[in-house]
Amino acid sequence: MTSAALAFPSGLASSSVPQNGIELEGQAERDAIAACQRGEREAFDLLVARYQRPIYRLCFRYVNNHEDANDLAQESFLKAWRGISRFRGDSAFSTWLYRIAVNTCLNFRASRKPDARELDERLVDPRPGALAEIEKDAEAGRVRAAVSRLPEKQRATLILKLFHELTHEEVARILGSSVGTVKANLFHALANLRRAAAREGEGRR
Amino acid sequence: MKPHLTDEAVLDLALGEAGPADRTHAAACEACGARREETRAALELARQAEVPEPSPLYWQALRSGVSRRIAEAGGAPRRFGVLVPLAAAAGLLAAVLSLRSSPPPQPSPSEPRLPAWSALPLEEEDDGLRVLEGLALASGDVGDWQAADGLEGYLESLTDDESRRLADSLRQQGQGGES
Repeated sequence: MTSAALAFPSGLASSSVPQNGIELEGQAERDAIAACQRGEREAFDLLVARYQRPIYRLCFRYVNNHEDANDLAQESFLKAWRGISRFRGDSAFSTWLYRIAVNTCLNFRASRKPDARELDERLVDPRPGALAEIEKDAEAGRVRAAVSRLPEKQRATLILKLFHELTHEEVARILGSSVGTVKANLFHALANLRRAAAREGEGRR
Repeated sequence: MKPHLTDEAVLDLALGEAGPADRTHAAACEACGARREETRAALELARQAEVPEPSPLYWQALRSGVSRRIAEAGGAPRRFGVLVPLAAAAGLLAAVLSLRSSPPPQPSPSEPRLPAWSALPLEEEDDGLRVLEGLALASGDVGDWQAADGLEGYLESLTDDESRRLADSLRQQGQGGES
């Protein structure tokens, strides 16, 4: 089928997608999804262009390197394309896609040797005020590294909530958990991040 | 004094999503106030973890990579929406065929015969029965209904093939009546 036959604006043909992606909202997105479900590849190019940046960034925060993030982002989109017939619109498309990406990242990490540096969820609370001892000018790379070593669910929650600015309810839907669990995981993620930063601050002294 | 705030309440405070009661408590309670500040500082720390922005050319490469993988995977999305009903229909068909090929269960002599719902009209109102009787008597090729347990029993005892032949006979009869 040619792009002229698509039910969404023909001005959004994939060849005209700007390098940094496009805005694709509301009805245009629904039309593109319906076209994908009919097997129209051009429509999927539009969805990729719309979500490439957030999906890549989500994957990057998981693995903390470009090569793996690139591979995981492509894998996530491939899974989305192959499974798009199952998308029924019960949730937002972005929620569905984020869920695929999170699961892809989780599977990727599960298939690798456990990271010996991954933080232990059972770490005891640090002494009060430890955060004040951390250097204020902590580099983003160090923080990302600490985030990438958080336990799986805590990391997923922190990434989705803080960096993708989703609501607790949206994060819960993506992760298939409750709002209470999301809040608990986020709280512990922040606590673990604080401890990691405190330990690193002590180690550098 | 009210007990200290839960972890969730402290998180809500740090995110600016807490209710007035918890805000008031944290303002008056040194321990909860300190936990709120630590959580708030951890949030600030986490937000420093910016992802390096790839080259603008990267996004085109990402899309090309996705297209290549889709082509390698066969191109078309999986048709779960079609396959699932088809599989269900195939399963149902197999179940029906297996039921029909096995002998029907024989009711025990003492088992009372229950009235069954039927879409057919009452026997005395069914003109089709008279046609059937006439057909059976005239052709003699669809079995002996009088030897069976009445007409109803006879119809129930028909095999698939006999039912098909009876339907063909009825159709021919109907066409003959119209001409």
